[in-house]
Amino acid sequence: METTTATAKKESSLSKAKEWAKGLFLRKKGAEAIERRPKQPKRKMSRMQKREEIAGWIFCSPLLIGLLLFTFVPMFCSLFWSFYHFDGFTLAPAGLYNFVHAFQDEEVGQSALNTLIYACVNIPLNLVLSYFLALLVNNAHKFTRVFRVLFYLPVVIPAVVSGLLWKDIFDPTFGIFNKILNSIGLPSFPFFQEASTSMFSLILMGCWGIGGGMILWLSAFKNIPKDLYESAKVDGANAFQRFANITIPMSTPIIFFNLVTSVIGSLQYNGTLIFAPRSGRGYDNSLYLYGVKIYWEAMKSGNIGYASALSWLLCIVISILTFILFKTSKWVFYGGE
Amino acid sequence: MDFKAIRERLTGEAYASNRKARAWDFTKTTALFVGMCLVAVVLMFPYLFMVFKSLMSETEILDPNPHFFPDWTNLQWNNFVLLFTDASSGYSYGLALLHTLIIIAFNVIAIPLSATFIAFSFAKLKWKGRNICFAIMMLTMTLPGVVTQIPLYVIYAKIGWLNTLYPFTIPNLFGGGALYIFLIRQYMFGIPNELSDAAKIDGCGPFRIYWSIILPNCKSILIYIIISVFNSYWGDYYGPLLYMTSTDAPYTFAYALFRSTVEGLASSQWAAVRMAGGVFMTLFPTILFIVFQEKLTDGALTSGIKG
Repeated sequence: METTTATAKKESSLSKAKEWAKGLFLRKKGAEAIERRPKQPKRKMSRMQKREEIAGWIFCSPLLIGLLLFTFVPMFCSLFWSFYHFDGFTLAPAGLYNFVHAFQDEEVGQSALNTLIYACVNIPLNLVLSYFLALLVNNAHKFTRVFRVLFYLPVVIPAVVSGLLWKDIFDPTFGIFNKILNSIGLPSFPFFQEASTSMFSLILMGCWGIGGGMILWLSAFKNIPKDLYESAKVDGANAFQRFANITIPMSTPIIFFNLVTSVIGSLQYNGTLIFAPRSGRGYDNSLYLYGVKIYWEAMKSGNIGYASALSWLLCIVISILTFILFKTSKWVFYGGE
Repeated sequence: MDFKAIRERLTGEAYASNRKARAWDFTKTTALFVGMCLVAVVLMFPYLFMVFKSLMSETEILDPNPHFFPDWTNLQWNNFVLLFTDASSGYSYGLALLHTLIIIAFNVIAIPLSATFIAFSFAKLKWKGRNICFAIMMLTMTLPGVVTQIPLYVIYAKIGWLNTLYPFTIPNLFGGGALYIFLIRQYMFGIPNELSDAAKIDGCGPFRIYWSIILPNCKSILIYIIISVFNSYWGDYYGPLLYMTSTDAPYTFAYALFRSTVEGLASSQWAAVRMAGGVFMTLFPTILFIVFQEKLTDGALTSGIKG
């Protein structure tokens, strides 16, 4: 009997152990389940997330359709046609001819050089001049606000009107500039009428747009905490040191932004179409800019294929320059670091 | 200014009685004023020249000895009337103005609506393709315009859109450009999420949240966008130059002025009327700038810092 009870006990203890083990197993399962649990509410949430996901695509769809129709399809066409002789009607394979020809075309060389000169002089000149202009109006006098508006007004003039205006002002015989020059005893200046003075006149004309840069500089100044200057003064920094060590580093984001946008802008500039002689090319092609060359090839000569190749070359140059600007932008100080 | 005020308060009468400092302040202010006046004379010169020339008579224009100031006793306000009434200029400016206004009226509604619609998905919704779509959009910003303009000319020619207003309106149903969408997105980040979360708990769908919560809160960036849209289409001569090839196309005002500038001589009798057209074109951007000065410069600021 005892043995049976003992065995029963043994059995019962065995079954207990089994149960315990089972419990352990279940607990482990439970723990696994708990571990897995974070996934479950996610699955429950997913219906709301799915709705948001769908809503996101719906809200973005106009952009995607627009980009496809008015950017990617034309881009693809342009890339395709750049390997063809294409006048808008007949396609004839050209291989790499258009790209090779671009490097042999004297007009391309001339216009690229003109564009380069224009960009290399115009951008730094405007940056510096607009800085001094901003410095001049960076005070809180009552009348300064009026002057800021006055300085910005030339920028407000639409490009066509400004072209019309400068064509008139620079006119060799009827122009007001030559009258002013003559009245102070200087000889007449040919401006756009001679190849040698054309580029100078174009850059001079651009100087009336420094109000735009002024606004950017002013907003840069506004963002520099005043106490930086105060503590620098206490530490005995002179005006130049404050400029070099506070104003310039704190303004670098604006300088950088200005640099990138104006490089992209001035390489494509074709505003000379409005006012330069010979339909925007200037005498001896002295004002022939790259943007005008592309327009000329596509619209006047009907070489759509060649113009496409030229515009892709421009795109490559702009991409490389933007890439270089961003890669070498370690000098830009974004604060807080 | 603040620093000076504090200094004045600290040193009190000692500073006020310091005549030398006050005299120095006075000369500094005067020098500043004179400097600004000089720069203003130079920078405003073309602007004033344009206004004055638009008021000149035919004899004054044809005078080989050009004047800066018009004959004050005989101002030709009539030039502005002639601009719109006299058809002999060859450029029907009145009709051209109508076309420009149609384009602007369309875009001033279409671009803010579609751009906020798209920007909402980037700023307030979480979805998988968001970052990729945004990156693609930003990449198109650096693409030079000519890469798409010339093929679009061929495409428009194929589908019969040349010499119509479609190229200036229909593409803007899709956001009107990456820059606008980007600026609105940046602005929407500033609208607290609590607003839309509360609406979400109340059972509002994304469309309701966009229409009745986010859109009404975008007012101040939309003013900036609307003014930019107005200015860009008001002054757009290059689009019509590409896409309006026939003589009976619906010219815009800027394009009429462009053609008049390119074709006309500076000394012809129409020069003053043309200049009146220039003044008319400059008038609206000028008013918009003066009225919304702070909003516009703020817009330049946000795109400058965060761009």
